[in-house]
Amino acid sequence: MATCTHRWQMAHVRFGLIAFEKCFHCGLVRTYFSAEDGLPLGEEYREDDHFWSRVETAQSFRFDLQCSLCGQVEEFSELMGLMHCTACMEDCPVEQQRRALERERTWLVVAFGFLPQALQRPLSERKLAILTDYFNQRRDVTRSRIKVVPFTLIPDLSRCGGEFLHDVGMLSQEPPGERKPLFS
Amino acid sequence: MTTKDLMERLELRPMSTFEHREVKGVIISDMVSDVMASARQGDLWLTVQTHKSIVPAANLVDVAAVVVTSGKEVPQETIDLASKFGIPILWTSMSTFALAGKLHDLGLRST
Repeated sequence: MATCTHRWQMAHVRFGLIAFEKCFHCGLVRTYFSAEDGLPLGEEYREDDHFWSRVETAQSFRFDLQCSLCGQVEEFSELMGLMHCTACMEDCPVEQQRRALERERTWLVVAFGFLPQALQRPLSERKLAILTDYFNQRRDVTRSRIKVVPFTLIPDLSRCGGEFLHDVGMLSQEPPGERKPLFS
Repeated sequence: MTTKDLMERLELRPMSTFEHREVKGVIISDMVSDVMASARQGDLWLTVQTHKSIVPAANLVDVAAVVVTSGKEVPQETIDLASKFGIPILWTSMSTFALAGKLHDLGLRST
Protein backbone atom coordinates (compact mmCIF):
# COMPACT_ATOMS: atom_id res chain seq x y z
CA MET A 1 0.00 0.00 0.00
CA ALA A 2 1.38 3.41 -0.95
CA THR A 3 2.04 5.77 1.94
CA CYS A 4 0.07 9.00 1.94
CA THR A 5 1.99 12.21 1.28
CA HIS A 6 -0.40 14.03 3.66
CA ARG A 7 -1.91 17.41 2.95
CA TRP A 8 -2.56 18.85 6.37
CA GLN A 9 -5.50 21.02 7.32
CA MET A 10 -6.36 22.54 10.65
CA ALA A 11 -9.13 20.65 12.41
CA HIS A 12 -10.97 20.68 15.75
CA VAL A 13 -10.12 24.34 16.45
CA ARG A 14 -10.98 25.31 20.05
CA PHE A 15 -10.59 28.92 21.15
CA GLY A 16 -9.77 29.70 24.76
CA LEU A 17 -7.19 31.17 27.10
CA ILE A 18 -3.65 30.19 27.97
CA ALA A 19 -2.95 30.94 31.62
CA PHE A 20 0.59 31.54 32.90
CA GLU A 21 1.03 30.95 36.62
CA LYS A 22 4.11 31.41 38.74
CA CYS A 23 4.99 30.02 42.17
CA PHE A 24 6.47 32.86 44.18
CA HIS A 25 7.93 30.34 46.58
CA CYS A 26 10.20 28.49 44.11
CA GLY A 27 9.84 30.46 40.85
CA LEU A 28 8.32 27.54 38.90
CA VAL A 29 6.16 28.58 35.93
CA ARG A 30 3.23 26.53 34.73
CA THR A 31 0.82 27.01 31.88
CA TYR A 32 -2.50 25.52 30.92
CA PHE A 33 -5.33 25.98 28.45
CA SER A 34 -8.79 26.95 29.64
CA ALA A 35 -12.05 27.34 27.78
CA GLU A 36 -13.30 29.67 30.55
CA ASP A 37 -14.01 33.25 29.51
CA GLY A 38 -12.42 35.12 32.37
CA LEU A 39 -9.36 34.10 34.34
CA PRO A 40 -8.54 36.96 36.72
CA LEU A 41 -4.90 37.91 37.13
CA GLY A 42 -3.16 38.02 40.48
CA GLU A 43 -5.35 35.41 42.16
CA GLU A 44 -3.13 33.50 44.59
CA TYR A 45 -3.69 30.03 45.92
CA ARG A 46 -1.69 27.31 47.54
CA GLU A 47 -1.30 23.82 46.12
CA ASP A 48 1.03 21.37 47.90
CA ASP A 49 4.31 23.26 48.35
CA HIS A 50 3.55 25.89 45.71
CA PHE A 51 2.04 29.37 46.04
CA TRP A 52 0.58 29.99 42.60
CA SER A 53 -0.33 33.36 41.18
CA ARG A 54 -1.74 33.93 37.70
CA VAL A 55 0.61 36.40 36.03
CA GLU A 56 -0.79 36.50 32.49
CA THR A 57 -3.58 35.19 30.33
CA ALA A 58 -3.66 35.23 26.55
CA GLN A 59 -6.42 34.40 24.13
CA SER A 60 -5.30 31.57 21.95
CA PHE A 61 -6.59 28.40 20.36
CA ARG A 62 -5.91 24.70 20.16
CA PHE A 63 -6.11 22.62 17.05
CA ASP A 64 -5.35 19.28 15.52
CA LEU A 65 -4.20 18.60 11.98
CA GLN A 66 -6.06 16.31 9.64
CA CYS A 67 -4.88 14.97 6.29
CA SER A 68 -7.33 15.91 3.54
CA LEU A 69 -6.16 12.93 1.48
CA CYS A 70 -6.35 10.00 3.90
CA GLY A 71 -8.19 11.46 6.89
CA GLN A 72 -5.42 10.78 9.41
CA VAL A 73 -5.67 13.04 12.46
CA GLU A 74 -2.64 14.24 14.40
CA GLU A 75 -3.50 15.65 17.81
CA PHE A 76 -1.67 18.72 19.07
CA SER A 77 -3.21 18.97 22.52
CA GLU A 78 0.28 19.27 24.01
CA LEU A 79 1.08 22.39 21.92
CA MET A 80 0.74 25.51 24.05
CA GLY A 81 1.63 27.96 21.33
CA LEU A 82 4.11 29.31 18.85
CA MET A 83 6.69 31.94 19.53
CA HIS A 84 8.53 34.37 17.31
CA CYS A 85 12.24 34.64 18.16
CA THR A 86 13.18 38.27 18.75
CA ALA A 87 16.94 37.64 18.67
CA CYS A 88 17.23 38.66 22.30
CA MET A 89 20.26 36.46 23.11
CA GLU A 90 23.09 36.12 20.63
CA ASP A 91 24.36 32.94 22.28
CA CYS A 92 20.95 31.21 22.17
CA PRO A 93 20.86 28.17 19.84
CA VAL A 94 17.45 29.33 18.58
CA GLU A 95 18.89 32.69 17.55
CA GLN A 96 21.88 30.97 15.92
CA GLN A 97 19.51 28.76 13.90
CA ARG A 98 17.30 31.73 13.12
CA ARG A 99 20.22 33.67 11.64
CA ALA A 100 21.39 30.70 9.55
CA LEU A 101 17.88 29.96 8.26
CA GLU A 102 17.17 33.60 7.46
CA ARG A 103 19.87 33.52 4.80
CA GLU A 104 17.84 30.77 3.08
CA ARG A 105 14.62 32.81 3.44
CA THR A 106 13.36 30.33 6.00
CA TRP A 107 11.62 31.79 9.03
CA LEU A 108 11.96 30.07 12.35
CA VAL A 109 9.05 29.56 14.73
CA VAL A 110 9.43 28.10 18.22
CA ALA A 111 6.85 25.55 19.38
CA PHE A 112 6.07 25.52 23.10
CA GLY A 113 4.46 22.75 25.05
CA PHE A 114 2.66 23.28 28.34
CA LEU A 115 4.96 23.86 31.29
CA PRO A 116 6.38 22.25 33.28
CA GLN A 117 5.52 18.86 31.74
CA ALA A 118 6.90 19.82 28.31
CA LEU A 119 10.36 20.24 29.84
CA GLN A 120 10.37 16.47 30.35
CA ARG A 121 8.16 15.56 27.39
CA PRO A 122 8.62 18.10 24.59
CA LEU A 123 6.81 17.84 21.28
CA SER A 124 8.29 15.01 19.29
CA GLU A 125 10.48 15.64 16.25
CA ARG A 126 7.78 13.94 14.19
CA LYS A 127 5.11 16.39 15.34
CA LEU A 128 7.42 19.36 14.79
CA ALA A 129 8.01 18.09 11.24
CA ILE A 130 4.25 17.79 10.68
CA LEU A 131 3.74 21.37 11.90
CA THR A 132 6.53 22.54 9.61
CA ASP A 133 4.93 20.69 6.68
CA TYR A 134 1.53 22.18 7.48
CA PHE A 135 2.74 25.78 7.49
CA ASN A 136 4.76 25.26 4.33
CA GLN A 137 1.90 23.51 2.54
CA ARG A 138 -0.32 26.56 3.02
CA ARG A 139 2.21 29.12 1.74
CA ASP A 140 4.04 30.09 -1.42
CA VAL A 141 7.36 28.35 -0.67
CA THR A 142 9.04 29.98 -3.65
CA ARG A 143 9.09 33.18 -1.56
CA SER A 144 9.93 31.79 1.86
CA ARG A 145 9.56 28.78 4.11
CA ILE A 146 8.78 28.10 7.77
CA LYS A 147 10.68 25.84 10.15
CA VAL A 148 9.25 24.91 13.54
CA VAL A 149 11.81 24.17 16.26
CA PRO A 150 11.34 23.05 19.88
CA PHE A 151 11.50 25.50 22.79
CA THR A 152 13.85 23.11 24.59
CA LEU A 153 16.64 24.65 22.50
CA ILE A 154 16.33 27.80 24.65
CA PRO A 155 18.92 27.40 27.42
CA ASP A 156 17.31 29.81 29.90
CA LEU A 157 13.61 30.59 29.56
CA SER A 158 13.85 33.32 32.19
CA ARG A 159 16.08 35.33 29.82
CA CYS A 160 13.93 34.70 26.73
CA GLY A 161 12.31 37.80 25.26
CA GLY A 162 10.49 35.99 22.44
CA GLU A 163 7.02 37.03 21.37
CA PHE A 164 4.22 34.52 21.72
CA LEU A 165 1.69 34.57 18.92
CA HIS A 166 -1.11 35.01 21.42
CA ASP A 167 -3.60 37.78 22.02
CA VAL A 168 -2.61 39.39 25.29
CA GLY A 169 -4.95 41.84 26.96
CA MET A 170 -7.78 41.47 24.45
CA LEU A 171 -10.32 41.29 27.28
CA SER A 172 -8.81 44.16 29.25
CA GLN A 173 -10.59 47.49 29.65
CA GLU A 174 -7.18 49.17 29.83
CA PRO A 175 -5.30 50.43 26.77
CA PRO A 176 -2.63 47.94 25.69
CA GLY A 177 0.80 48.34 27.20
CA GLU A 178 4.13 46.85 26.23
CA ARG A 179 4.24 43.08 26.63
CA LYS A 180 6.49 41.70 29.30
CA PRO A 181 8.60 38.54 29.03
CA LEU A 182 6.49 35.70 30.41
CA PHE A 183 9.16 33.55 31.99
CA SER A 184 11.28 36.11 33.82
CA MET B 1 -5.84 41.65 -8.19
CA THR B 2 -2.50 42.56 -6.61
CA THR B 3 -1.41 44.70 -3.70
CA LYS B 4 -0.22 47.25 -6.28
CA ASP B 5 -3.71 47.42 -7.86
CA LEU B 6 -5.35 47.88 -4.46
CA MET B 7 -2.89 50.55 -3.37
CA GLU B 8 -3.60 52.54 -6.53
CA ARG B 9 -7.37 52.10 -6.54
CA LEU B 10 -7.98 52.61 -2.84
CA GLU B 11 -5.09 54.94 -1.99
CA LEU B 12 -3.62 52.53 0.54
CA ARG B 13 -0.34 53.84 1.87
CA PRO B 14 2.64 51.46 2.06
CA MET B 15 4.32 51.44 5.48
CA SER B 16 6.89 48.65 5.01
CA THR B 17 9.16 47.61 2.14
CA PHE B 18 7.92 44.60 0.18
CA GLU B 19 7.35 43.01 -3.20
CA HIS B 20 3.82 43.18 -4.56
CA ARG B 21 1.70 40.06 -4.23
CA GLU B 22 -1.51 38.60 -5.55
CA VAL B 23 -4.54 39.13 -3.33
CA LYS B 24 -6.99 36.22 -3.29
CA GLY B 25 -9.41 37.12 -0.53
CA VAL B 26 -10.04 39.11 2.63
CA ILE B 27 -9.98 38.37 6.34
CA ILE B 28 -11.10 40.86 8.97
CA SER B 29 -9.91 40.28 12.52
CA ASP B 30 -8.09 42.04 15.33
CA MET B 31 -6.97 38.78 16.92
CA VAL B 32 -3.73 37.08 16.00
CA SER B 33 -5.09 33.70 17.11
CA ASP B 34 -8.18 34.11 14.92
CA VAL B 35 -6.05 34.93 11.88
CA MET B 36 -3.72 31.99 12.54
CA ALA B 37 -6.74 29.69 12.68
CA SER B 38 -8.78 31.16 9.84
CA ALA B 39 -6.69 33.09 7.29
CA ARG B 40 -5.82 31.64 3.89
CA GLN B 41 -2.66 32.17 1.93
CA GLY B 42 -3.04 35.33 -0.16
CA ASP B 43 -5.68 36.93 2.06
CA LEU B 44 -5.69 40.65 2.70
CA TRP B 45 -5.84 41.06 6.49
CA LEU B 46 -7.82 44.11 7.66
CA THR B 47 -7.17 45.09 11.26
CA VAL B 48 -6.79 47.92 13.76
CA GLN B 49 -4.19 45.83 15.60
CA THR B 50 -0.71 47.36 15.29
CA HIS B 51 1.36 45.37 17.81
CA LYS B 52 4.44 43.86 16.19
CA SER B 53 3.10 40.34 16.76
CA ILE B 54 0.88 40.88 13.69
CA VAL B 55 4.02 40.49 11.57
CA PRO B 56 5.09 36.94 12.50
CA ALA B 57 1.44 35.90 12.44
CA ALA B 58 0.98 37.37 8.95
CA ASN B 59 4.19 35.68 7.85
CA LEU B 60 3.19 32.34 9.32
CA VAL B 61 -0.12 32.16 7.44
CA ASP B 62 1.34 33.91 4.37
CA VAL B 63 -1.24 36.66 3.97
CA ALA B 64 -0.79 38.95 0.96
CA ALA B 65 -0.75 42.08 3.10
CA VAL B 66 -1.89 43.56 6.38
CA VAL B 67 -4.02 46.68 6.07
CA VAL B 68 -4.15 48.83 9.18
CA THR B 69 -7.45 50.71 9.07
CA SER B 70 -9.08 53.68 10.81
CA GLY B 71 -5.89 55.69 10.63
CA LYS B 72 -4.28 53.80 13.52
CA GLU B 73 -0.67 54.75 14.03
CA VAL B 74 1.70 51.87 13.27
CA PRO B 75 4.70 51.67 15.63
CA GLN B 76 8.10 51.88 13.97
CA GLU B 77 9.11 48.50 15.45
CA THR B 78 6.15 46.88 13.66
CA ILE B 79 7.14 48.54 10.38
CA ASP B 80 10.81 47.54 10.79
CA LEU B 81 9.92 43.90 11.53
CA ALA B 82 7.52 43.78 8.57
CA SER B 83 10.22 45.15 6.25
CA LYS B 84 12.63 42.51 7.52
CA PHE B 85 10.13 39.75 6.69
CA GLY B 86 9.01 41.43 3.45
CA ILE B 87 5.45 41.59 4.78
CA PRO B 88 3.38 44.34 3.17
CA ILE B 89 1.83 46.65 5.73
CA LEU B 90 -0.58 49.12 4.17
CA TRP B 91 -2.37 51.97 5.91
CA THR B 92 -5.65 53.74 5.39
CA SER B 93 -7.69 56.32 7.24
CA MET B 94 -10.83 54.45 6.13
CA SER B 95 -12.70 52.38 8.68
CA THR B 96 -12.56 48.61 8.35
CA PHE B 97 -16.22 48.63 7.32
CA ALA B 98 -15.70 51.23 4.59
CA LEU B 99 -12.63 49.47 3.22
CA ALA B 100 -14.37 46.08 3.28
CA GLY B 101 -17.21 47.57 1.23
CA LYS B 102 -14.78 48.90 -1.39
CA LEU B 103 -12.93 45.59 -1.55
CA HIS B 104 -16.26 43.81 -2.03
CA ASP B 105 -17.12 46.23 -4.85
CA LEU B 106 -13.80 45.29 -6.48
CA GLY B 107 -14.83 41.64 -6.41
CA LEU B 108 -12.82 40.39 -3.46
CA ARG B 109 -14.51 37.97 -1.09
CA SER B 110 -13.84 36.20 2.17
CA THR B 111 -11.98 32.99 1.30
